[in-house]
Amino acid sequence: MKKHQKNAAEDLLDIVHLNEGIKQVVVIAFHINLMALNAILLANRAGKIALGFGVISKELRVLAVELTQLMHALKAEAHDSVNCITVLLRQERRRLLLTAAQSQVTNHTSALAGVIESHAAYRDEQVVRIKHLRNELLGKLMDARRICQFGIAISRSAKIEAAYGGSFSQQLKEVSTDFDQNIHAILPALDVLCNTLEDNQ
Amino acid sequence: MKQAKTIFQQGNHSWTIIARDPSKFGYIIDTNEYLITSGNDTLLTDPGGSEIFPAVFSAICTVIDPLGIKALFASHQDPDIISSLGLWLDFNPKLRCYTSRLWTGFIPHFGGDDKTLIGIPDEGMTLSLGELSVEVVPAHYLHSSGNMQLYDPVAKILFSGDVGAALMPDDQNEMYVSNFDRHIEFARGFHQRWMGSAEAKLDWCERVAALDIDMMCPQHGAIYQGADVMRFINWFAELPIGLQTFKKK
Repeated sequence: MKKHQKNAAEDLLDIVHLNEGIKQVVVIAFHINLMALNAILLANRAGKIALGFGVISKELRVLAVELTQLMHALKAEAHDSVNCITVLLRQERRRLLLTAAQSQVTNHTSALAGVIESHAAYRDEQVVRIKHLRNELLGKLMDARRICQFGIAISRSAKIEAAYGGSFSQQLKEVSTDFDQNIHAILPALDVLCNTLEDNQ
Repeated sequence: MKQAKTIFQQGNHSWTIIARDPSKFGYIIDTNEYLITSGNDTLLTDPGGSEIFPAVFSAICTVIDPLGIKALFASHQDPDIISSLGLWLDFNPKLRCYTSRLWTGFIPHFGGDDKTLIGIPDEGMTLSLGELSVEVVPAHYLHSSGNMQLYDPVAKILFSGDVGAALMPDDQNEMYVSNFDRHIEFARGFHQRWMGSAEAKLDWCERVAALDIDMMCPQHGAIYQGADVMRFINWFAELPIGLQTFKKK
């Protein structure tokens, strides 16, 4: 496989991994959202003693929604990237076939020169565009990472608040542990995706 | 590289076959392309798959200026027929491709758009090429449901697409059928499996037998000449094809 095709194929593979990672994060964010909703109801039942826990749960719910929206935006950009990459792969394949034809021609040797040149120019444009899209994706992944780190801090606060939950303490503690586990599950997935995109820059 | 060989010439009217590429990968079916030229205008039949474009294009360049190709003709929709369309359009965006109306929405997956493809009605049509008129002969269901052939009444040549095709072994690379009985064995399996309709087959045999044909040029294998043309038509009429040839399990 030629250099540009190889790079584009690697880009495509990265996007495939990214899409799989997005699916994972969306599922976890959905769970956090659901948990946060239950936690809000639980805090309401507990009354004054769990006011702080209720506030934190609302924050976590907002965080889960933000994360989901961010993942949807990532998905849309990943889709654009796939389009760009597939166009590049197709064009590059054509360019190579045209170049092969050119190299075998003995008469009318200039017949394909202009076409090959415009293909190469278009390829260079696409390569720049794909690189830009990769950076956009990476930026959004970094945002998601920051949201998760904020989520980890909030879930820690939830654990502290749970300790002051009186008779609801045990239930609140279970909920806050679930929060913590879920939010911690997202980070490694995001790290892998960030590293993948960074490595192939 | 493929060889370009003139098989008919009368003034500025000619037929050229592009065939037999010794460097072709064995896993790709061998194809024949034909250039029909009248004056400054050339039509290319079944340009072939994208993988063989370099071989076809370079062979064409040895005999004509490729910009002289004004139109392509796709007998049907298969990849070995027309998947190089995108490459041809890269080279010359003005090219038009004639094909059965059935495939005008399918072939753009290989390249081109609604302006590129000109749908041929089911009953066929007459194509003008320079001062020449070429007849489009319907051959539906042999094997494609929208299948067309070309008949040049001046050169008395029928471009028959997949009808008459033979899957020849590597050591058999003759351009013309020299021994009908031996050659037809390379065609038998192909016709039994690829041609699905006995009704369509007999209808085609009847119509084509009425044409004055000196040469029958298939898209795979060797060219039938003279008496071998009618020999082929008779052989094909008798041949059990399609489901008749499947063993009941």
